[in-house]
Amino acid sequence: MNGYWLMVRAVTLALCALVALPAGAAETPITVLNPRGIQPPIRLVPMAARPASLDGKTIYIVDTKYPRTKPFVEELQQGLAAKYPRTNWVIKEKVGSYFDDDPKLWADAKVNAAGAIVLIGH
Amino acid sequence: MPAVSIVTARFEELAKTTAYKKGMPRQRITFAPHPVTDRTAEIARQYLAGSDPISKQPMLQQIYEGLAKPLIDEERQAGFLDREARPRLLPPDTPTNLERMFHDSQWTDGMAIVLPTEERVAEMLQGTSRRPDEVVGIMRPSPPHEAWEYTVEMVAVNAVMAGARPEYLPTILAIASTGTTSLISSTSSFARMVVVNGPERNEIGMNAGIGALGPFNHANATIGRAWTLISKNLGGSGRPGETYLGSQGNALSYNNLCIPEAEEGLPEGWQPLHVQKGFKAEESTISILSGWSLNNIAWYSPLPQQEVIMNWLSHFFSFGTTRATLLLDPVVAADMKSAGFASKQAFAAWLGQNSTTPAWLYWSTHEAELKKAQQGVEPYASYLKRGEGAEIPVSRYASPPAQGGTGIASTNSATPIEIVVVGGGTNTFWSGGDFTYVASASIDRWK
Repeated sequence: MNGYWLMVRAVTLALCALVALPAGAAETPITVLNPRGIQPPIRLVPMAARPASLDGKTIYIVDTKYPRTKPFVEELQQGLAAKYPRTNWVIKEKVGSYFDDDPKLWADAKVNAAGAIVLIGH
Repeated sequence: MPAVSIVTARFEELAKTTAYKKGMPRQRITFAPHPVTDRTAEIARQYLAGSDPISKQPMLQQIYEGLAKPLIDEERQAGFLDREARPRLLPPDTPTNLERMFHDSQWTDGMAIVLPTEERVAEMLQGTSRRPDEVVGIMRPSPPHEAWEYTVEMVAVNAVMAGARPEYLPTILAIASTGTTSLISSTSSFARMVVVNGPERNEIGMNAGIGALGPFNHANATIGRAWTLISKNLGGSGRPGETYLGSQGNALSYNNLCIPEAEEGLPEGWQPLHVQKGFKAEESTISILSGWSLNNIAWYSPLPQQEVIMNWLSHFFSFGTTRATLLLDPVVAADMKSAGFASKQAFAAWLGQNSTTPAWLYWSTHEAELKKAQQGVEPYASYLKRGEGAEIPVSRYASPPAQGGTGIASTNSATPIEIVVVGGGTNTFWSGGDFTYVASASIDRWK
């Protein structure tokens, strides 16, 4: 009895293999729901106009104080000062760690600087 | 005001997509070789004398021009940017093709999913009385990123995909309601933990016993998995290079250590976690903890167990060195009660008072104290004399953490050491890791 059923199963599998279709081709199309959430709109922020020249102007180099990046910040200031000596390149340390906002520094920069370079890790 | 940013080249995609999402798609960015952290002044000088590895332009000149070069029309534009359309239903296709498309779109965790047909989602929604279009919350990969919004139905869709049953939906909605992603964008490869408390644990058949943290229970597995899918699809998280930067990733993120507390195994006087956080014992809640790693301590010692745990706390080191969570088997909890600790809080306080800090770690995290020590100020001077291999009698777990989480918890009572009791009592073993409490939320309000 077992031999008979094994033979039937083998024949069935062979027939299935002979008429096999590409994966998905025999399936009925279905409709599914979108799994994604709602993205917020993006409002464009026009960039600030650039000055005709940086000569005689102050640019803040904002150090966000990512751990152990001070040598890079200092070398950046020195490199810019050597290449563009008519601009005043000033390092400003942002308060707190790189996670924290510093509205006072941004207000200071708007009054006392013509631009800013912001360094972000890593 | 005119500004340029400097980012290391490894984060090109992150920097550009972030600028786009913040509404400044043409932000002037100069990329530096990666990394700049832990590099000498000489190497920094070489970097700056060279070119931006992305644009191939000289770095210093590009920075200068970023501040001085006149804007082009596209940089002055106002208005709105188009976002990806979000139809409620996706175009019909075969199940095979749809599943492939879900994987290719990074909407899954890489494992097989249950496709969210209308029938399955409708059945899932039977698990809650809430309206399908009700907004559950917002979620983002980390604070600087944009937040996405999601409804009850969207959470149900992801619950279906995870293989969850309708009766799990209130628990999954409670997790989603915290707005806490399980896939934080940080390079440090965070992990999350979710602890379920109250009657719901047993009503939906969660396993707090043998193998609670392993792949042995449908509810534990799929609720935890649903959080990962929700984080990806509803929280805008988990896109490597863009919204996920974890350098090595974290294997715990597959199901986020989803466990119920073994409340029945708590010694007398030891409160369940949700009661510690201000909920009533008869309420059902989820609590979220955040960390990086978990040690499974399977070791016999001639020392009393509390001293083994205390010594582990002294020497355990990972990214987070000032917070810990202990997962105690009920047998260990009972032993601690017998050792005289009348509550979790009493045990945690004792550990906080008696654990120490390895000298190398103490001095590398206490610069001000090191200066005092070098000036002869006590007790720091005496600590310094002990040498690098000594233990400093200052616990890393003594001070309470800052208020964490999202304000979802009815009372945020994060403590330096959290204790959860879980396990089947087959041995006197326990686990510990650098997890800290983030938030709790009611399950009952989502039924």
